[in-house]
Amino acid sequence: MPRTYEAVYIFDSTLEDAAINEKITRFHGLLGTREQPEVAHWGRRQLAYSIGPRENGYYVVSKFATEPTTLPEYERALKLDDGVIRYLITLHEHEVGAPPQSEEDLAAATRRDDDDDDED
Amino acid sequence: MRRPQKSCPFCESRVRWIDYKDDRTLGRFITDQGKILPSRLSGTCARHQRQLSTAIKRARFLALIPYIRGHQA
Repeated sequence: MPRTYEAVYIFDSTLEDAAINEKITRFHGLLGTREQPEVAHWGRRQLAYSIGPRENGYYVVSKFATEPTTLPEYERALKLDDGVIRYLITLHEHEVGAPPQSEEDLAAATRRDDDDDDED
Repeated sequence: MRRPQKSCPFCESRVRWIDYKDDRTLGRFITDQGKILPSRLSGTCARHQRQLSTAIKRARFLALIPYIRGHQA
């Protein structure tokens, strides 16, 4: 069963935009997804702390649904690429997790909390 | 002596999930040194405090917020 993931890549900011796009396409090709992953370019921004000699990075966020079995190969490619300073892959399933609370549920939960407080 | 009940800022604004990419929001919940603000000071509820700590740790790894503020390597 495919699962939804979110990946953030930090590329070397000295790379050309075309080279970054080419890398992203290559990485996503390894996932073998039918749907095109959603890609958001944040662009070049300053890092909160220097990573090695680098002070800036090119941030890209992508969201995709894939089989978990395809991930090791994809991650290996990311790890071996010198242009990628850092990457983070996280499960992105919280939106489909618990259903949003209605007004009544929220009020009931608040009431329950208040009751608990009274006891101690 | 019981301390007065503080309301959770995330529950108030109906946040379902704290985003680790939102460095501006996360920045409000770290101290001047860059430590995670305890829920006793921020008033965050247990559920959101757990989400917040994960989000801050992820944001630190991605260099969106610093591990230590004012630190020069």
